[in-house]
Amino acid sequence: MPRLSELQESFRIAVDSLRVNLLRSILTTAGIVVGVVLVVLMGWTIGGLNAVWEQTISIIGKDMLYMDKWDWAGGGNWRELEARKDITLNQAEMLKLRMESAQFVIPMARKWGGSVVKGNTSLSCSITGTTSDYGFTSAAATLDGRFFTTTEEHSAERVVVIGHGVYTSLWPDGNAVDAILKINRVPFRVIGVLQKQGFLFMDFIDNQVFIPLKAFRAAHGFYDRSFDVALKCGSEAMLDVVRTEAIGHMRAIRNVAPDAPNDFSINETKAFDEQTKNIRLGIWVVGIGLTLLAFVVGSIGIMNIMYVSVTERTKEIGIRKAIGARRSSILAQFLIESALLCAAGALIAFPIAQAIVAGARFTAVDVLEQDWARVISPFIPLDLLVIAVTVSVIVGLLAGFMPALRASRLDPVDALRYEQ
Amino acid sequence: MSKAIIDIEHLVKRYEMGDEEVYALRDVSLTIGDNEYVAIMGPSGSGKSTLMNILGCLDTPTSGKYLFNGANVAEMDDDDLASIRNREIGFVFQTFNLLPRATSLKNVELPLVYAGVSAEERTRRASEALARVQLADRMSHKPNELSGGQRQRVAIARAIVTAPCIILADEPTGNLDTKTGQDIMSLFSDLWKAGNTVILVTHEEDVAQHARRIIRLRDGKIESDTQNHHA
Repeated sequence: MPRLSELQESFRIAVDSLRVNLLRSILTTAGIVVGVVLVVLMGWTIGGLNAVWEQTISIIGKDMLYMDKWDWAGGGNWRELEARKDITLNQAEMLKLRMESAQFVIPMARKWGGSVVKGNTSLSCSITGTTSDYGFTSAAATLDGRFFTTTEEHSAERVVVIGHGVYTSLWPDGNAVDAILKINRVPFRVIGVLQKQGFLFMDFIDNQVFIPLKAFRAAHGFYDRSFDVALKCGSEAMLDVVRTEAIGHMRAIRNVAPDAPNDFSINETKAFDEQTKNIRLGIWVVGIGLTLLAFVVGSIGIMNIMYVSVTERTKEIGIRKAIGARRSSILAQFLIESALLCAAGALIAFPIAQAIVAGARFTAVDVLEQDWARVISPFIPLDLLVIAVTVSVIVGLLAGFMPALRASRLDPVDALRYEQ
Repeated sequence: MSKAIIDIEHLVKRYEMGDEEVYALRDVSLTIGDNEYVAIMGPSGSGKSTLMNILGCLDTPTSGKYLFNGANVAEMDDDDLASIRNREIGFVFQTFNLLPRATSLKNVELPLVYAGVSAEERTRRASEALARVQLADRMSHKPNELSGGQRQRVAIARAIVTAPCIILADEPTGNLDTKTGQDIMSLFSDLWKAGNTVILVTHEEDVAQHARRIIRLRDGKIESDTQNHHA
């Protein structure tokens, strides 16, 4: 191993050499710069996606379970799911009576692809009939107004709480509360507007309206309708307890034979993680592919310029060897130079990537007015800088190895005799 | 004669040039002791450069024995040779061979860098060496800011900074005018008088006349080895 004094000397020479050939050095690092920019952008994109996703999940409620005939994650065979018996209101209410561990047990009836009419404007959205308990879930947080009460629920009042998407579509100027919205030609009074919940590809969540269960029955009927049962667990820690208890009761209620599988599904927000996993994987694969390409091209450039550097400095290598530089010293000298070249590339890349990131966020939030983008950080996380510099240095060491080896093996007599 | 620093017996150096074998040295035997002042002379092609490269541990012989301070150089690997060059041999070249972008001080410090000497100690010893060649006031100058004679004196300072066993000078005045050349030669004489062993390689008779012993090579063999009583 070279001594510390030699490494310091090597470092000094390397910095000196990069400075003397400044333009050449910068041009050489272009490939590395592109690679690092790509790595950083990829990391930032995945990070941003996670942030958006986390936001969505936390609003829907991480402590929620949804018992349903259907499986959200799309697991199982569609025909098998279709063949399941509907979950009836009666079953939902029996579950509610028996459940002990859940905070709230909330039957829900849904009409997908329904429509609402405000004045002459019609909007297609899903219509959900539920109990006032739904008002206690985080998904029912209101922007304006309130959720309906138990009294309103029992008396089948024609009141409606609208999702944020419905609100912005029909009331672009605001003031939806107390307005009239027709559902199946029956006028309902708007009493609340929900906060925005769905981000990005989850927009459908905001495109629904909530009415009391009995009002729903009046409007759409319960015939041939499978109910969902929302279970609010109170905390994520309670999910397992509630899930186990709910499955036990529901099997008993629906007379599932002991050795038969559940004829219903328990859905939770985790199910969506699978979907984002694929998106993340996609970004990762494309990103890594492009990055590898950039680094391979970049390292060829580095290797090339290092060969040039070794040739240019043959005489210098001869002098150093004559006065006592060992092979390892010369090897270290050129490896350090090549690693520094790449590290410099990473440092050049960072402001570029930061500018792109800040620009992208500004465009999304302030120009395109995409609210979901607000949760994405406009800054590149520091750990990405560390990773990028580390990767670049490793690329530099690999790319510089062959030229450095050639330098270290030069014969001192030949090297001293070399004239440019 | 005092203790032998260089002890060569039956040294042969053979190069392969295509199909031809070229003998640069044929059976050279030689002993050089401590504090000698030797000039190795000969026309070009006589093998004196090859001999100097071998003596300086820059190259190894094809066959024969070379003992440097009792150690067999022929058996050494690259790192051992580098270490000997670093600690025991000070080179002075015809073309000075200074690093162009480094100051005089940094150039002189360089052998100490490879010897693992601390920065502080390096600066102290390099300054001393520069003072010995009367360049104390040119420490922060780069080679292109110095005259030829000054550059060669920086090179001499670099050669003596590690206090080596021998100083090996290859045509040290070849690129200098006569007057400057004489200054440099008197510097070598001073070093010899101060106890150093100096080996000059030259083809100039008047340069060789500064040495106390003159070895003449011809066709890869020693033609004569005489004490010089003129100096």
